[in-house]
Amino acid sequence: MLRYLATRLMLAIPTMLAVLTLVFFVVRVIPGDPATAALGDYASKEAVEAMRERMGLNDPLLVQYFRFLGEVLRGNLGTSMITGKPIGELVLQVLPYTLQLTLSSVLVGAILGVPIGIYTAVHRNSFIDYVGRVLSLAGLSVPAFYLGILIMLLFAIKFKLFPAVGGGDLDDLKDNLMHLALPSLTLGLIMTTSVTRLTRSAMLNVLSEHYVRTARAKGLEERKVIFRHALRAALVPIVSIIGIWAANLIADSVLTETVFARPGLGKMLVGAIMQRDYTALQSIMVIYTVFVVVINLITDLIYSAVDPRITH
Amino acid sequence: MKRLGLLISLTMVAALLAACATPTPEVIKETVKETVIVEGTPKVVEVEKVGTAAPEEKEPVFLRYADKAADLGTMDPHFAASTNDRNLVDMIFNGLVRYKPGDGSVFEPDLAEALPEPELMGDKQVWTFKLRRGVMCHPSEQVPSYELTAEDVVWSLLKSANPDTSAYAGEYNNMTFEAVDDYTVKITLDSPISKVLFYPKVADYAGGFIVCKKPYEAIGAETFKTQPSGTGPFMFDSYSPQEKVLLVANPDYFRGRPLLDGVDYRYMPELNSRELGLMSGELDVINGAAEGIWVERMSQEPGIRVDVYGVGEVATIHFDITVEPLDNPLVRQAIAYALDRDEFLALFGEPVSANVYSPVPAQFLAGGLTQKEVAELGLEYAYDLEKAKELMAEAGYADGFSLEMVSSERESYLKNYQSMQAQLAEIGIDIQINVTDHSSMHSLIREDVNPIVIYVAWRPNADVYLTRFYHSDSIVVTGAKPDTNFSHYAAIDDMIEAARIELDPDKQIQMWKDAQIKILEDMVSYPLQYQNQVTARRDYVDFGHELKSVLALYAQITENTRITK
Repeated sequence: MLRYLATRLMLAIPTMLAVLTLVFFVVRVIPGDPATAALGDYASKEAVEAMRERMGLNDPLLVQYFRFLGEVLRGNLGTSMITGKPIGELVLQVLPYTLQLTLSSVLVGAILGVPIGIYTAVHRNSFIDYVGRVLSLAGLSVPAFYLGILIMLLFAIKFKLFPAVGGGDLDDLKDNLMHLALPSLTLGLIMTTSVTRLTRSAMLNVLSEHYVRTARAKGLEERKVIFRHALRAALVPIVSIIGIWAANLIADSVLTETVFARPGLGKMLVGAIMQRDYTALQSIMVIYTVFVVVINLITDLIYSAVDPRITH
Repeated sequence: MKRLGLLISLTMVAALLAACATPTPEVIKETVKETVIVEGTPKVVEVEKVGTAAPEEKEPVFLRYADKAADLGTMDPHFAASTNDRNLVDMIFNGLVRYKPGDGSVFEPDLAEALPEPELMGDKQVWTFKLRRGVMCHPSEQVPSYELTAEDVVWSLLKSANPDTSAYAGEYNNMTFEAVDDYTVKITLDSPISKVLFYPKVADYAGGFIVCKKPYEAIGAETFKTQPSGTGPFMFDSYSPQEKVLLVANPDYFRGRPLLDGVDYRYMPELNSRELGLMSGELDVINGAAEGIWVERMSQEPGIRVDVYGVGEVATIHFDITVEPLDNPLVRQAIAYALDRDEFLALFGEPVSANVYSPVPAQFLAGGLTQKEVAELGLEYAYDLEKAKELMAEAGYADGFSLEMVSSERESYLKNYQSMQAQLAEIGIDIQINVTDHSSMHSLIREDVNPIVIYVAWRPNADVYLTRFYHSDSIVVTGAKPDTNFSHYAAIDDMIEAARIELDPDKQIQMWKDAQIKILEDMVSYPLQYQNQVTARRDYVDFGHELKSVLALYAQITENTRITK
């Protein structure tokens, strides 16, 4: 197991290198650069050129590349080309918000999606099943930002139960949770639709297996048939979808972060692209790669726990 | 038992009365150190103060302002270019002079005691500023508060003039700065210019903001971007990335302590979020949408007021007169007659938008041409589709032609491009629009990819408008100082340069008008409309001034801004 973990973590290094290299060169193809983005259209050409020189943008591309690579290997993510603040510091300030939103959304999605999926599978073709399938399809069709605005209108404006905007104070648990409620509900509900559908599908496959029929024939309680035998076997794809969502949410939460005016890595990434903040963009992509690798690793480890046939 | 019950009741009543009783304020005497100005010199003295301890502290009053930007760029005023950055530096810094709060057409003294008159010394022009006494630089971690002197002012102006430390260095060419004494600054220009052109250079805008020397040198240029220190009514407190910048009141502000305890300046790029935040009471002021429909809708919300004010950013269509078929004046005139300004105006609606008839907007700046003036000159190019078709036929393009161009995804650009596309289709001009992000558009048009460029901009005076958009030095790519002359126009250089050095204000204005008449005669560019600024606020917010025009492009928060609830 330890060897497996070490191997997976070592494999992450070339992955990060590949991502970093790709991002480095692709972003420089986009028109514009940090100097023009930072100074705006009113700045004189001399000022723009001076800024480009200070930012090192006039150096040969390979020189810039190896300079950045060297910094990353030394654990230095560099400084924002726009604000001058260390990227590490900026990321640490927004990362808690992203992690909160991702974890809470995954929890909402899993806690709601799995039971609903199980229920609709067990009560296949019932009224509840039809309602569940229609709602999950509708949920997949609704964009996150639209759902977010509707939830905001209902819970923050109409019923005034939660604040509408902001990330809240990280030092104040209650304030923090109040600001987390609506965004995590938004993303959680959208994730619920996917998890429901996949759980239902996985359970239906398993419930038709011979051993499930045998268990019932032996007189086993229906609850035990479903949770001890069927669900256990169906868990692998369910864990997969939850793992995929967890990795995606870290990046895809940008629209929800924008609607609810929450800080987050997704927004930071989009902001870095718009401002052509090359250093921030490259560094954030490195961090994303680490997250995706770790989440995938955790998912794979959970597979082993869920299905003893899977060993590492 | 009864006695016990009575005793308990009496005890409870006593406790209740004690809880409700107004506590007698405690008299407090304390010795504090204060900075006072004695004969022009700051001195620290000990003063005994007698006061009473209030039973409870008043909740600090912070104005919660939501801007449409995603995040901070910089709070170094000499690099602040985006609107949100300009808003912040406007609250943190002062200039030698300032635009009157709420009315950008009026100058008044700021750090200077009075607006100076120029003196001619030989062929040079000298402006002498007497500084106010007792203006204190904001305290920071590294540097305590200290009095601003001429040394700081000269240092700051030199910083503004240096392209390594300022994006606006080009405004300070051929100028020297001298600290005559602690409170006197002398600025010498190699070539005399009028007040209209000089005051903006030393006003609370762009390079005119005065930065305190010691805090800047203590922390360095990079750190100063996010830890600024000025002399303004509000001081920097903290910055949370993507979330907000917190400013606190400057208790030593030379115009008096602000009525607000601070400003909570938040970043919310999504309009719906800002709206809902305002309606839920979590925000006090928001950036609005530059659309008449939005203004009308929000004005009907209970407890909300909408302010529409200048300065208006001007949208202008520029024709590249060096590419076929736009190199033919008949084609350009045909396009002008095929375009209906009112149709463009309807995209944004009144009162947010209004038509302009010259490159310099007459509504905000001296030197612009009004509709009446251009009509009398026969240069209004009022919508006339038949005339447009005749001109196209005369030019040999009766069947039209095709053009390809890029547009920003921003509505202020895209709507105008799309309307132009629809209108010019009527005379057979087929336009393909490639939509890209705003930064990319700005880069691409400066690489001269567009035969027609629609540009939305505000510039502080007519000289800047004309120089940057119509002087041959500013021709994109090939000009001596490539800027935004997308038309590749070179016919009015002498007129622009002559107007710049004219000292008689009336003559100067007429010279600017003459230059624009030539632009319209050659139909090098077609002015469309200006788009005002729109702000929505809770009705308990009082900005402390009337809102007519603000160069910082927001409602302007000063020491007089207050929350009345």
